[in-house]
Amino acid sequence: MLLLEFQSFLLDGLLNTLFLSSVMIAGGTFFAVIFAAGLSAQSGWLRRPVYALVECLRDIPLMVTVLMVYFVLPHAGLSFNPFWSSALSVSVWGGANGAHIIRAGLLSVPSGQREAALSSGLRGWKGLFLVIVPQAMPVILPPYVSLVTSLTQASSLGAVLGVNELLRSAQILIEQTTIARGGSPAYLVYGSILVVYFALCWSISALGAKLERHFAKPYQRTNGKTGLARPTVVLQISTT
Amino acid sequence: MDFAYILEALPDLMTGLKTTLIVSFLAIFLSCLIGLVGAVLRKSGIKPLQYAVTAYVEFIRGTPYLVQIFFIFYGLPSLGLRFSIFWSGVIALTAWASAFQIENFRAGLAAVGSGMHDASASLGLKRWQHSIFIILPLATRAALPSAMNTIVATVKNSAYLQAIGLVELTFVAVDRIAYDFRAIEMFASICVIYLICVFTISGLGYMVERRLSRPFGGR
Repeated sequence: MLLLEFQSFLLDGLLNTLFLSSVMIAGGTFFAVIFAAGLSAQSGWLRRPVYALVECLRDIPLMVTVLMVYFVLPHAGLSFNPFWSSALSVSVWGGANGAHIIRAGLLSVPSGQREAALSSGLRGWKGLFLVIVPQAMPVILPPYVSLVTSLTQASSLGAVLGVNELLRSAQILIEQTTIARGGSPAYLVYGSILVVYFALCWSISALGAKLERHFAKPYQRTNGKTGLARPTVVLQISTT
Repeated sequence: MDFAYILEALPDLMTGLKTTLIVSFLAIFLSCLIGLVGAVLRKSGIKPLQYAVTAYVEFIRGTPYLVQIFFIFYGLPSLGLRFSIFWSGVIALTAWASAFQIENFRAGLAAVGSGMHDASASLGLKRWQHSIFIILPLATRAALPSAMNTIVATVKNSAYLQAIGLVELTFVAVDRIAYDFRAIEMFASICVIYLICVFTISGLGYMVERRLSRPFGGR
């Protein structure tokens, strides 16, 4: 069978996909935190440009952003190879979407909590990470997990620039076998990598659900009496 | 920035924009139709149909859109289904958007309270009258904000179709860059064009939303 014959070739592609999506998830989180900080800035001179940038990134097709970073940045003297170029563009896009998730999550924590943290002597970063963030997590996580699966799926955009990830490997395999043996195995190869991507995203969702349960614990041991009221904010993440 | 060059390229870009809009509108229309039917099927109580619709939604949402496009354009011909680039694009975009529209309409249907059923039964409305005159308007109104989101995303995602060579807006820009190397001008123009499209559609959606919420004392 064709797939088994070229399994090491496809496995290389899968490994590259895993590496690329990890970079995109890490980069996306990095930009999300920065943009979220910018969006919550006191000074309008900082907040408004960040807001405009985030809105533009969310409204321009991801495909255009990926191509734009690849073609336009070299004009500014910044040349990246296809791998880092696609990693950068998808990270920035993920950051723009993640920023709104993080900001809404932090805003969902009642202001009394912030004040309580201050009065207990937990100032600045300490109050943020020990008091606010753990309570924001149940709101942040569900949309954030779906953003992470979107980022994993977006790693296939690397194929457009020629990064050797799973989709590109599949393309090469199909081209070569069509030339060498005649008859295109496209439906078989693309069908199989669809299944691989599905398994990948499914595992991420499962992991995310586990994490969600962990952070939801304090809200579950209620008997309707002692537990904390669970914050609810409905968030909508742009779908790609 | 060379504005004379943009002006010179504008007719080409407009041709691309026309294709983008035609493909998007076809996909939006079909996906809303499929979304509505799928959402109803998911509530139909017929187990195999429900599972099939759920599996379809989960699979589309769990796989990269780009791979779906390639599967439809390159994979289906060897199974005996051959479509032109244009129709492959429409099918791929519709298949993707339908999954999200099914979810949107399902949430919309779920938002209609069961009290409505009792109310229309007490007024002597038939089942079909109840579905079309009571449930449909209410569910559409509830589903509209998220459906508009998906509609905007459908227009944006038509850009992916340049990967199979559909001559739409992004393809035209990249094609011209290959000849003239004017990357900054081309990307600036298509970004502006996409932003105008997105804002126009969001604005229209907002107007429809306001119009529909009028009976409920909305602003």
